[in-house]
Amino acid sequence: MSDDSHVPLKSPRRQLTDGGSRGRRRRRFRAVAIAAAVVTTLAGCAAAGSTGSGPLTIGMSLPLTGAAADVAKAGYEGYQLWAAQVNAAGGLLGRQVKLDVLDDGFDPNQTGTDYTRLISQDKVDLLLGTFSSLLNAPASAIAARQQMLYVEPSGGAASLFDRGFTNLFFAQPGTTETLPDLFLTWLGALPVDQRPKTAAYLTQDDPSASPAIAVFKTRLRALGVTQVYDQTYDPSTSNFDSIAASVAQSAPEMIIQGAVTSDGAQFVRSLEKLNFSPRILFQTKSPSDGGYPGAVGPKNTEGVFTSQAWNAKAAYPGNSEFVSAYTKMFGSAPSEDAANSYTAGQVLGAAVKAVGRIDQKALAAWLHANTVDTIVGPLKWDGRGDPIGLGLLSQWQNGTLRVVAPKSAATSTTVVNPKPGWANG
Amino acid sequence: MTAQRFRRLATLIAVALLVCMPLLSDDLYLQNLLIMTFLLAIGASGWNIMGGYAGYISLGNSAFLGLGAYTTGILAVRAGLSPFVGCLVGGLVSALAAALLSLVTRRTRGMYFVIVTFATLQLLGVAAATWTGLTGGSQGLALPLPTWDLSYQNWPFYYPMLALLAVTVAVSAWVRRGKLGLGLFAIQDDEDKAAGLGLRTALYKMIAFVLGGAFLGVAGGLYAYYVSFLNVAAVFDIVTSVLIVLAVLLGGRGTLWGPVLGAFIVAPVSNLTSTGLGGADSGAVRLLLFGGLLGAVAIFLPRGVLPVLQSWFRTMVARRSVGTMTDDGAETAGGSSNLPDRGSLADRAELTDVLAVRGVGKSFGGLRAVDNVDLDLTAGRVTGLIGPNGSGKTTLFNIIDGTVPTREGRITLRGRGIERAGRPTRAHLGLARTYQLPRLFANLTVIENIVVPERKFAFGRLWTKRVSPAERQRALAILDDLELAAHADGSPADLSYGQRKLVELAQVFWLDPVLVLLDEPAAGISPALSERLAGLVRSLRRRGVAVLLVEHDLAFIASLCEQVYVMSRGAVIAHGSVAEISAEQVVVDAYLGDSVVPIPAEGHA
Amino acid sequence: MIALVQTLVFGVLIGGVYALMATGLTLTFGVMKIVNMAQGAFLIVSTYLCYTLWDQFGIDPIVAAFIVMAPMAALGLVIYKVVIERLQRIDPGLTIVATFALALVAEALLALAWGPNQKTATPEYFNQAIHLGQLVVPRGQFYACVLAVVITVVLQVAVKRTWLGRSITAAAENPEGARLIGVEPARVGAWIFAIATGSTAFGGAALSFLYQFTPDTQDVWLGLTLSVVIVGGLGSIPGAFAAGVLLGVAEALTTTYVSVRWATAVPALLILVVLTIRPQGLFARTTRQDAAS
Repeated sequence: MSDDSHVPLKSPRRQLTDGGSRGRRRRRFRAVAIAAAVVTTLAGCAAAGSTGSGPLTIGMSLPLTGAAADVAKAGYEGYQLWAAQVNAAGGLLGRQVKLDVLDDGFDPNQTGTDYTRLISQDKVDLLLGTFSSLLNAPASAIAARQQMLYVEPSGGAASLFDRGFTNLFFAQPGTTETLPDLFLTWLGALPVDQRPKTAAYLTQDDPSASPAIAVFKTRLRALGVTQVYDQTYDPSTSNFDSIAASVAQSAPEMIIQGAVTSDGAQFVRSLEKLNFSPRILFQTKSPSDGGYPGAVGPKNTEGVFTSQAWNAKAAYPGNSEFVSAYTKMFGSAPSEDAANSYTAGQVLGAAVKAVGRIDQKALAAWLHANTVDTIVGPLKWDGRGDPIGLGLLSQWQNGTLRVVAPKSAATSTTVVNPKPGWANG
Repeated sequence: MTAQRFRRLATLIAVALLVCMPLLSDDLYLQNLLIMTFLLAIGASGWNIMGGYAGYISLGNSAFLGLGAYTTGILAVRAGLSPFVGCLVGGLVSALAAALLSLVTRRTRGMYFVIVTFATLQLLGVAAATWTGLTGGSQGLALPLPTWDLSYQNWPFYYPMLALLAVTVAVSAWVRRGKLGLGLFAIQDDEDKAAGLGLRTALYKMIAFVLGGAFLGVAGGLYAYYVSFLNVAAVFDIVTSVLIVLAVLLGGRGTLWGPVLGAFIVAPVSNLTSTGLGGADSGAVRLLLFGGLLGAVAIFLPRGVLPVLQSWFRTMVARRSVGTMTDDGAETAGGSSNLPDRGSLADRAELTDVLAVRGVGKSFGGLRAVDNVDLDLTAGRVTGLIGPNGSGKTTLFNIIDGTVPTREGRITLRGRGIERAGRPTRAHLGLARTYQLPRLFANLTVIENIVVPERKFAFGRLWTKRVSPAERQRALAILDDLELAAHADGSPADLSYGQRKLVELAQVFWLDPVLVLLDEPAAGISPALSERLAGLVRSLRRRGVAVLLVEHDLAFIASLCEQVYVMSRGAVIAHGSVAEISAEQVVVDAYLGDSVVPIPAEGHA
Repeated sequence: MIALVQTLVFGVLIGGVYALMATGLTLTFGVMKIVNMAQGAFLIVSTYLCYTLWDQFGIDPIVAAFIVMAPMAALGLVIYKVVIERLQRIDPGLTIVATFALALVAEALLALAWGPNQKTATPEYFNQAIHLGQLVVPRGQFYACVLAVVITVVLQVAVKRTWLGRSITAAAENPEGARLIGVEPARVGAWIFAIATGSTAFGGAALSFLYQFTPDTQDVWLGLTLSVVIVGGLGSIPGAFAAGVLLGVAEALTTTYVSVRWATAVPALLILVVLTIRPQGLFARTTRQDAAS
């Protein structure tokens, strides 16, 4: 009785060379395939960059594919609108602005490579930043090493600004750490018996969310709010049912969530399924996503708080023009990401105009010493590149996201409190 | 120009170019591209030792990269240790992790090994993210920026990376041309057979894994300094692992330069396909290009680029692959017997009882394959094992040599109980076996097949040449006796069935065993060859080896065996000399049948 | 006490979803031993198709799945014939590369066709739950679970009782032997691969109303579904279902009673534990060829 279990799992590697015409034809085919591959890669080489006078090239690497593709698309559109408007008005320093964009697929290694390429091969005149602290970290370091100005639209992790870079500027009105301020001011101003007694804290492990939640925790404790739940979840978490059940179990009057993208809407969906609705719900980032109302159900947005860097209705100079121009150019209303990049463009443009020449050090110095008027209000920075200012406190009211604080930018005078229950089905 | 000289020249030119590149051009982007390429090539080369030579595909490579990177980063930030020193510590940490991982994966093979490494990577990622005090978690860890003058650009990264790559390839070559590589390729071809020939497969694999991990760890440290900012999600990412594997597969798995070539294809292509085409859709276009290219190479160049280039070159130069490589073997005078001499029968008289099997049994589900078998084998005696198909003969073999585990019964080899011993241990104690369908290592030449068996593991030996001159002489002599010397440097695939049986037997001889199990050696071969085999069995007997022989050819059995065991339905139904058992009715009913007349045993030659 | 039961309910439900996502893979990886890195891509393509049918024509995603099954099966057939069958013969490692490349291409095409923005289907039950006393059973997941059970049963019957199923099992174990008895592995393989790919339509439909998705979402599901099949044991379809439930319950318990942070590590942990203790998986009866003895 023979035992066949010893037949090797793979067929023998040694193969006799292909003889005959069939083999030759196959080899020729392979040669063509390889040649095609080589040609494709060579064709993919970036075109020569601009030199000296002529168009002013601004380089950037964006995560056009990958996990942040939706954010990057809007961001790119913001940059494009800014460039188009600048060019229509005669360009920067009399030169037409040209954007040199690369895709890094949300891979920070690729971001680093891309910015190196932009600087050394394409020899761009100026840089603009990318989205998320993860990508801005290597990019800003390379810019710092090459001593180029780096204005970034979205990436507020404290670690970015702890590195002593003088060339780095964050084009948003507030940092992650100051994000809770306006909400806490409002809460603190409530009469004590109207303040929530208990709170649940939930955050994604992300540098743009968890530091803010940490601030919430300490400041709310000082305001007499008891913590009944406190957990951090992995960025890849997609199912929130168990988490929501635990939160509901602890029966908090208020829930503060550090969300980043779709996790905010997912968590709310789970709460809806459980039919647990807190009196106050604050979520970072998520509620300002375009897909949020659709994801949670249009009637369920009522009363949800969030903090924004920008709001379409905020009455800062140039803002409504920005909204209408964007809608005209791209056929849909702008999102916060588009506004952030537009702002970054504004900051860069203002510095270049004021200094009058492309001198990276002088541009950085000017920005450190001055305030720039943008669609998110007047921006100024500390020595680290962190903005000195506050964002906006917003709340969904009647199907629109309105600004409730600060008063100078508010588009609504009322605040919905408590939040109504879910409208299921 | 021979293939070897061409290869050397091409390598020299390429290395010279790479060394001079930063001196000739100040293009920072090109330096950056090459640094990332070197990193990928180091990872690919290191991975290739385990994945290409041993055949174990691991997806956990980013883990080693990450460990090296974070070790270096943490030491740089907390202890102010220069990353150029810290990266060596990183390499050590990664090597340790690799050793641990190989312990964990001792029993996993194939797809499962892939999955386990992938799972380990995930876990490490979560652990690193949670241990924020040490790693900075999702906030990331920022390393100090390089302090040297800008005019040196990235030279302090470029040259160490290039040097590390050179070292990695050199070590890979050393492994490949040495006994370690021999063992690894054997493991890739047929791990069980390799274990049966005494190779401590677990140790071999661990060493291969540790080497790959160590190089990746050092590279990870340099990488950390280069990117200056570490983030758990980005570092412990599956994509890097996959890119390494892709580079190797594209270039040619198992070859020496294939991984390097593959890296030099993958890294630039994935960069160059990131273009300004298509505006907001450029990302999707890039994915399309990259994915399409990858798919095309996989479909049209399945063995990888290097083997294709090699066979092109070979056909262009019109040389046959058999017989051109390797050193000239020493000419051997015929000599009556080049088989290892174990001394006369008299010396062996003390070790009469070589193998004692008591009460061994094995069930597969409801089937009782082997049922309470007792067996004794003595030195210098050939014992036959016969019985109808399905009687459990091969299972019994498999139990004795360790392929099939069992909890029933005891097996004693030269006085030592081996029921729980692994196959390499049994081989080291002197147990060897052949298979009915001969199992040879396809990746090795015939002569390498013969010298691969190991009686003892010696770490130092791993780094010596695959076939030392002395070994070559001995092996050639054996092949000469078997009239196979012409095939010495050829592939086992070129041998006929009968010739492969002979080579397998030569492997057994090389192991210098005390007990040999032969599984139907005479099946399917010509009478002349059968007679030759019988002669080899007799020479084994002369050397005092105990032989257990499964056969259906009764003439063969009768001419060789002093005693015979008869099995039927898993149990031994008769035991004695050929004449004795053929007279028993039980045996006739179960196996022999009435019309068979056994040839009386001849005198033992 | 009720909290524990609720956690278990959630665990079983999400486990059912995992099992549903893994259905195609139990056939391709479990029975045919093909490592298909495009499993996530198939799922997400199905998701987009089901979503579009819901978005444009108002067809309920689960109903849409039955429609989407056909083009997906056709896609699987084509891919098997053109790519996989050739490469499996040469070197299984190449299938990994080629299917990985396929996943990249799929992601690119999806991004070009539908754009990168988050999408989700919201049929009326997407945020509703069935209340059994104090217990909450989310409707969407419940339907997905039911689908999982039905499909598991159907596939199990198909593999064990039909000629097609038995012949692919035979062909996977011993292609030469199969040929000798008149079973052509390539042809049978193509059918099974097509069925497997078609069955991802249901997982895709569930994905569309349970989560928000982008073309990039496929990565998460690849790892998870591989875990389910491995832990369950190759070749065991009911085993994969049980493993999915086990995974879901383990995750839910970890989330509620240990730490939310570690919940995503559960699949990886489970794999390591199972493969170290019982390499052939929890529910496979036969020992694996490639587990060292």
